[in-house]
Amino acid sequence: DKKSFNQCMAEWKLFLYNPTTREFLGRTTKSWGLILLFYLVFYGFLAALFSFTMWAMLQTLNDEVPKYRDQIPSPGLMVFPKPVTALDYSFRVSDPESYRGYVDDLTKFLKSYDLEEQKNLTACPDGALREQKGPTYTACQFPVVSLKGCSGVEDPEFGYSTGNPCILVKMNRIIGLKPQGKPRINCISKGEKTATLSTYPSNGTIDLKYFPYYGKKLHVRYLQPLVAVQVAFNTTSTGKEVTVECKIDGSPNLKT
Amino acid sequence: MAQKTPEIYSVELSGTEDVGKTDTGDGKEKYRGLKDKRLELKKNHQKEELKKEVDLEDHKLSIKELERKYGTNIVTGLSSTQAAELLARNGPNALTPPKETPEIVKFLKQMVGGFSILLWIGAILCWIAYGIQYFNDKSSSLDSVYLGCVLALVVILTGIFAYYQEAKSTNIMASFSKMIPQQALVIRDSEKKTIPADIRLLSTQGCKVDNSSLTGESEPQSRSCEFTHDNPLETKNIGFYSTTCLEGTATGMVINTGDRTIIGQIASLASGVGHEKTPIAIEIEHFVHIVAGVAVSIGILFFIIAVSMKYYVLDSIIFLIGIIVANVPEGLLATVTVTLSLTAKRMAKKNCLVKNLEAVETLGSTSIICSDKTGTLTQNRMTVAHLWFDNQIFVADTSEDHSNQVFDQSSGTWASLSKIITLCNRAEFRPGQESVPIMKKVVVGDASETALLKFSEVILGDVMEIRKRNRKVAEIPFNSTNKFQLSIHETDDPSDKRFLMVMKGAPERVLEKCSTIMVNGQEQPLDDSTAEAFHTAYMELGGLGERVLGFCHLYLPADKFPETYSFDVDTVNFPTSNLCFVGLLSMIDPPRSTVPDAVTKCRSAGIKVIMVTGDHPITAKAIAKSVGIISANSETVEDIAKRLNIPVEQVSKRDAKAAVVTGMELKDMSPEQLDELLTDYSEIVFARTSPQQKLIIVEGCQRQDAVVAVTGDGVNDSPALKKADIGIAMGIAGSDAAKNAADMVLLDDNFASIVTGVEEGRLIFDNLKKTIAYTLTKNIAELCPFLIYIIAGLPLPIGTITILFIDLGTDIIPSIALAYEKAESDIMNRKPRHKKKDRLVNAPLAIYSYLHIGLMQALGAFVVYFTVYAQEGFRPSALINLRVEWEKDSVNDLEDSYGQEWTQYQRKYLEWTGYTAFFVGIMIQQIADLIIRKTRRNSIFQQGLFRNKVIWVGIASQIIIALILSYGLGSVSALNFTMLRPQYWFVAVPHAILIWVYDEVRKLFIRLYPGSWWDKNMYY
Repeated sequence: DKKSFNQCMAEWKLFLYNPTTREFLGRTTKSWGLILLFYLVFYGFLAALFSFTMWAMLQTLNDEVPKYRDQIPSPGLMVFPKPVTALDYSFRVSDPESYRGYVDDLTKFLKSYDLEEQKNLTACPDGALREQKGPTYTACQFPVVSLKGCSGVEDPEFGYSTGNPCILVKMNRIIGLKPQGKPRINCISKGEKTATLSTYPSNGTIDLKYFPYYGKKLHVRYLQPLVAVQVAFNTTSTGKEVTVECKIDGSPNLKT
Repeated sequence: MAQKTPEIYSVELSGTEDVGKTDTGDGKEKYRGLKDKRLELKKNHQKEELKKEVDLEDHKLSIKELERKYGTNIVTGLSSTQAAELLARNGPNALTPPKETPEIVKFLKQMVGGFSILLWIGAILCWIAYGIQYFNDKSSSLDSVYLGCVLALVVILTGIFAYYQEAKSTNIMASFSKMIPQQALVIRDSEKKTIPADIRLLSTQGCKVDNSSLTGESEPQSRSCEFTHDNPLETKNIGFYSTTCLEGTATGMVINTGDRTIIGQIASLASGVGHEKTPIAIEIEHFVHIVAGVAVSIGILFFIIAVSMKYYVLDSIIFLIGIIVANVPEGLLATVTVTLSLTAKRMAKKNCLVKNLEAVETLGSTSIICSDKTGTLTQNRMTVAHLWFDNQIFVADTSEDHSNQVFDQSSGTWASLSKIITLCNRAEFRPGQESVPIMKKVVVGDASETALLKFSEVILGDVMEIRKRNRKVAEIPFNSTNKFQLSIHETDDPSDKRFLMVMKGAPERVLEKCSTIMVNGQEQPLDDSTAEAFHTAYMELGGLGERVLGFCHLYLPADKFPETYSFDVDTVNFPTSNLCFVGLLSMIDPPRSTVPDAVTKCRSAGIKVIMVTGDHPITAKAIAKSVGIISANSETVEDIAKRLNIPVEQVSKRDAKAAVVTGMELKDMSPEQLDELLTDYSEIVFARTSPQQKLIIVEGCQRQDAVVAVTGDGVNDSPALKKADIGIAMGIAGSDAAKNAADMVLLDDNFASIVTGVEEGRLIFDNLKKTIAYTLTKNIAELCPFLIYIIAGLPLPIGTITILFIDLGTDIIPSIALAYEKAESDIMNRKPRHKKKDRLVNAPLAIYSYLHIGLMQALGAFVVYFTVYAQEGFRPSALINLRVEWEKDSVNDLEDSYGQEWTQYQRKYLEWTGYTAFFVGIMIQQIADLIIRKTRRNSIFQQGLFRNKVIWVGIASQIIIALILSYGLGSVSALNFTMLRPQYWFVAVPHAILIWVYDEVRKLFIRLYPGSWWDKNMYY
């Protein structure tokens, strides 16, 4: 049943346009018209229907608080500078280019913690949860100086130029989260004791006054508390590498 | 039985004729077959050669020439050394069993067939992707390796499953064929003797053989030493391997053994006839091509899109895999296999044993059935059909149980006739069958006598008792020269001392011996008018294709033949003329009572039934008429000629609807003439055909693009059975070779069973359409997420593993359940499908499944997906283009629409929840899809929502599997399922309802406007 090439071509041509039946791609103009009309109407209807159901679904949502928070029962920790691929920072003290990215990132991140930016925020009393009833919600100031050498105020290079790099640790925002006890971020160096860690504020304490968080819409300009970790390598050790592990301590309802 | 003695054969053949007597009259003669030296048959057999008849010259040679040819002596035989040498050269006298495909090849075929190759590619791509990943980053995750393994596992498991199904159905067949011995044996001291090899007969005595397994002729054929025909199959001096010797004895010389016998040649050639692909295999291939084409083209298209959107090539490969997996209905081929084997089981219950699963459907698309007559259309036993006495033809009941004999039995003539029938008969029931119904009792005797014995037993009661009361004193058995049978009996009337001589035989011979005729119990002289009446009746019954016997009797006068008279059959010391003619009785092998109905069904189903028989044209035509193969009002050319009284040549062929063609006519036909014959006549009977010609007929039918079913039982039928689209072997009468060559075995040899098979086959085709439509639909719902993911950058809505859980989990039982769906309308009232036009998967089916229901499903599932994300904090607007950040392992503070921050693990878990939600969305809508697929044209409410209970089992299975996956295995992270909030299970319900409503509207318009644009585009 092998057809010659010409026969094949002729068949294709006839399929493309058949002058006797006036069929184009196997259908008449009318049939094509009906098809187009049908799909226009059908898909129009489907699109409308989809939009309507989506709209209806969005109506069930609350603007301020998501319906469920079960998937984020406890906050994660995030470090700065923002890691590029893995949580791994390496640089050479002698080469400012090698740590410029980190420094810029930290500077950028701390921008919202500028004193200038914070001047409209409330100075809240320490040590207690700050539950608010609305309708307006205020955010507490975070004194960036408590980060000491890592605040960027004294050392705009965040210790990188001296070989004592700073890393900022923040706890993720979760609406309505009320830590119990005295939460703190505890960082330890693992493996060989090649370096000593200092945490600021001292002990890595996170003050309860920053909780609970009321969401992006209500709790405008909310600043979350930060903890800084500064690494000081032992002069005696040969290796200048350290693995740091941080976790939340002191609060039974927060786990990482 | 293998040949243990490579020496001179000594085989006894004895007939069954003389069971009533001792064996003395027919002393067993030694048949001295000589170990042969065979013909060197041409090695390169061609199919053509087979069609031309068989190649054998020995029947033309004289005995001397034979001796020379085989280097033997007909008295002393071969020396044992010579014989041993020949045995070593030619092998034992046994047929080589047909070659089987090695199991491993069958298994590997399952592994690479269909979609498997696509999935293998997917798996290999996965591993390549991992290789590249690993090369770049030693700590990369093993996800794609797992996925590759899962895909490979899926292929292997479905392959094993399909192989197992196939093997199981083959095993049914194997166990069946074991019931019959594989090789023909020489059975001694039993009724029938099988001829052990091809034999050139050297001397015979009243030898008759049954060649039906070879030539299909049901009549016993006499054998003599003369060379009577050029064709070795027709000549009288050859006895064939595996045929049976019914009576008489013969001596001959073995000329061929084992595979070199005629039967052996045919059997081995049959395996050489190429087996055509079954229609369903072609359809499935077509379907696989469509789906694979869609998968590959969408895959490549999006690969290009992804690359040009600056995705990494590696990611693009992963997308490609996802698209392939989403597009391939992994479970479908396994489902089809199960569906077919379910139908095969159902058919087996209706006496159609299917050897090849795909043949199940072939039967449904059959457009021509070439049927045997004997045994298939008929009951395969001679039965008294008509009687003629008192100048009147009476009809006897020929139904299977003879229960309803209504003819007038009050006449005195009947009393005499019944006495002759009872007494002039040597057939007897085998002892020990008292509890067996009369029609089922085994009788020792030939077909006609058996018919007469059963006939009289039904009407008169205990025949043996009657015979005992009328003791037989002398007998001349039937032979072909005198053509009558005669016996002399004492009467059971004690006061009547006369002897009664009864005779039956060929009507004209019997009439010659008569001078009177009995009418209404009175003897009358036989004048011209009564002779005329006799002839009319004789012709009429003969014209019905019936075998007619004449019966007469004579009471021998007591004075000449006193009680002590000693009758001598050799000198014939009693009168054999001037007898009294009593009546005629005609017999036929009557059609099975279910056949006419079945033929009518075939006709309304658009199936042409062609009778192909070795029998006489008149008999064939008569049976064809009585079962409706030739309908009551249609005529052949010859009929018209006879009616109009003009020569046959003058009749316009267009006027005739029916044709009876003999083998001789067929032999002279060119293929074009045969084509013309097959197209011009709607009702065709081929008579006196050889099984070889069957092959020619089958090929002729196939040239008309017909799907041809052929029935056969003889060894010689096997090439035709192989060639046919579906070969149907007879389970009872069929030879092993025929059963081997066939796709299907009819356990009850009944034509009507074929028709029920056709019905099942058509139903399965319809239901497979539904299954495929059901399965294809969700492919779009599985595919869209990937496309949206690539283009709009949403977090992946459904994972590859999850897709596999739909395809191989929730969807399997429902798609099988559709196989149990009842037909929507009378499927036996429509034409058989055109194998090139009515495809299993046609454009409307694909378009409606993909672009209508599939798209609606995708939307419904997306609603569930968006709902889950929105209620957890990610509004739809926030999801767009979130993909890159979302998937970055290092980002642990991804902000949602409410300002909350998500770690990578929390996002992953949410993503799995999204998978589960999308999965549930598809599953819920697949329930609606399953319900709408119950019918293609009728409303679901017409079809009945609850008639097919298995559908509900399917729905329950879907829900239960989904529940188990979500709530039971939600904690197993490798499966990517999570516990879904109960309310999310209902989000897609409105969409499901919409699907149902939309489909009802579609069907409504199809019913309202048949033939319209809507019908053409929306009916699949």
